Amino acid sequence: MPTAVDALQPWPDTVQWHPVSRKLITVELIGLAIWQGILVIGLGVGWLIGRQWGWLAGIAAVLLLGLWRATVAVRAVRAWGYAERDNDLLVRHGLVIRRLSIVPYARMQFVDVTAGPIERAFGLATVQLHTAAAASDAQVPGLPPEEAARLRDRLTALGEDRAEGL
Amino acid sequence: MTATETPGQPGQPGRHESAEGTGRQRLHPLSPLLHGAKSLFVIVAALSWQTLNQLGPVHFGIVVLVLAVGALIFSLISWWNTGYQVVARELRINEGLVWRRHRAIPLDRLQSVELRRPLLAQLTGLAELRLEVVGGSKTEAPLAYLSVREAAALRERLLDLSGRTPESAVAPSADPAAGTPGAAPLFSVRNRELLISQLLTPQAFLLPIGVAWVITQFVMEGSWTFIGIASTVTAMAGVLLQPIRRVLRDWSFRLARDPGGRLLLRYGLTETRSQVVPLHRVQAVRITWPFLWRLNGWLYLQLDVAGYDAPEHGNDTGSDRLLPVGDQHAARFLIGTVLPGVDLTTLATSPPPERVRWLHPIGLRFLGAGLYPDVLVTREGRVSREMTLVPYARLQSVRVTQGPLQRLLRLATVYADAAGGRSAVARDRDVAEAWALADELVRRARRARRVPPSSAPAADPPPAAPAEPGQPDDDPFWQRPARA
Repeated sequence: MPTAVDALQPWPDTVQWHPVSRKLITVELIGLAIWQGILVIGLGVGWLIGRQWGWLAGIAAVLLLGLWRATVAVRAVRAWGYAERDNDLLVRHGLVIRRLSIVPYARMQFVDVTAGPIERAFGLATVQLHTAAAASDAQVPGLPPEEAARLRDRLTALGEDRAEGL
Repeated sequence: MTATETPGQPGQPGRHESAEGTGRQRLHPLSPLLHGAKSLFVIVAALSWQTLNQLGPVHFGIVVLVLAVGALIFSLISWWNTGYQVVARELRINEGLVWRRHRAIPLDRLQSVELRRPLLAQLTGLAELRLEVVGGSKTEAPLAYLSVREAAALRERLLDLSGRTPESAVAPSADPAAGTPGAAPLFSVRNRELLISQLLTPQAFLLPIGVAWVITQFVMEGSWTFIGIASTVTAMAGVLLQPIRRVLRDWSFRLARDPGGRLLLRYGLTETRSQVVPLHRVQAVRITWPFLWRLNGWLYLQLDVAGYDAPEHGNDTGSDRLLPVGDQHAARFLIGTVLPGVDLTTLATSPPPERVRWLHPIGLRFLGAGLYPDVLVTREGRVSREMTLVPYARLQSVRVTQGPLQRLLRLATVYADAAGGRSAVARDRDVAEAWALADELVRRARRARRVPPSSAPAADPPPAAPAEPGQPDDDPFWQRPARA
């Protein structure tokens, strides 16, 4: 837990981090499972045709990789967080490479709200903030629709008092 | 079309409203011919030497002719269907036959305007007008081609309309037909220096080796076929292309400043480019000291304007040069012009902590970052050194990242993103310092935004510089936290 300075907890006194919904873990796992299923089926068909042990080894490797990715996904979702300060939005994410983005509301060009099919089934959405700089990445996945709508409206309202984002 | 459908913007003088009634205009009638000629080159290049060998010259000629006629007809049709029109504060362009496209370009989003004249256009007295708009991943709306006079007039008009302050819309170019308003020359690069500088590139150094290798190859095999030689020459040209293209592109580089405080750049030999960049559109400046140029103490400057997509290394097609080659004095002068109040000679940066040596065994002292009253300065690069200046007022977002190795060493990297595609990167700072730096950047950016950033394109440095309270606390800020 936080030492003197934790990479994911800057300015701990002034910032209140919101976690993303835990349901995102399920969404990520389902997405992962689908890919795993496709790969395993493909390799299984190969095994049925070829009857070589290499195919089975492939399946084992895929499953192992899937297990590892699942643990990473679970932890990555927990690492994801956002915070709204008076003048900017903070988004942190990443496990191996940790990233924190600070995007001033005044720099916002537009806001995207997207939801994939699995996300929709679980009632989640992704809010993404775009600035004029292509490098800025402020993306908050796994928000319940009402929270996504609230965030979107707040962002646009805060961004509106400045017509020009440059 | 009349201007009545878009009543004048509030606060905008009605000077242009009457002129807005101009109907849809076509491009210059010669443009399909030029486009056709251009595609002829592409066709020949695409067919390559191999095809020539297979088909024989006569068939080859027929194929080229057929394709060229087709291209000409196609460009004729697209010319017929292309038109542009200035309506209120918008430039409207419609084009296309199969996929029709109507675009309205809001001129207050205009970042810079460039007038390009490729060789053929120079011979025929035509020019291409390219507009850079925010959000476009590539150059929006190249109007090719217009007559030079028309293009210059249109450029002036567009820039006038895009001006944020009413003064700039009224003052400088009362006579738009004049094309170039009374601009004060700032700087010019001598062609001799440009040539020498491009000879001092890795490509130019490697060329003799390549030539020697090819010649020995031929002597060994003893076959001197035309195709072989032609292919070799083409390959050689490919290698040499970059320096040559740079020389051609930056030939007789001249910089001036017009009464409105905008930067006028003009350069090129086979293709002349003349670019107008309002100073408040400059997003970042990068200074590069290439390895081989250090002999002469030379450097080059690049200018970031939003709308140019992120320039890649070695990609030379963009128009982002502020100075193709020059010495410290020239760079200092130009930086002082583009970013008023910034003095290159005083821009020192503080290096990252000593333990970064584990990540960068050599060249540690070329990494660094520094906060100045108006700009963030970062340096990196061992062989070819680079320095990036991002004004706080243009900062788009701040990012802090930390990889696994950095976590072990308690380091983090801070990115300051600007709209031009380049970010200033303060690599491998101490974690506590990185957070402080990010926080400070955000705070300074906010303050710089609040003070309208030199909004008047007046020649004077912005009032922000003296009022900036950041200077005194710079020193304590950069005192690194006591090491454990």
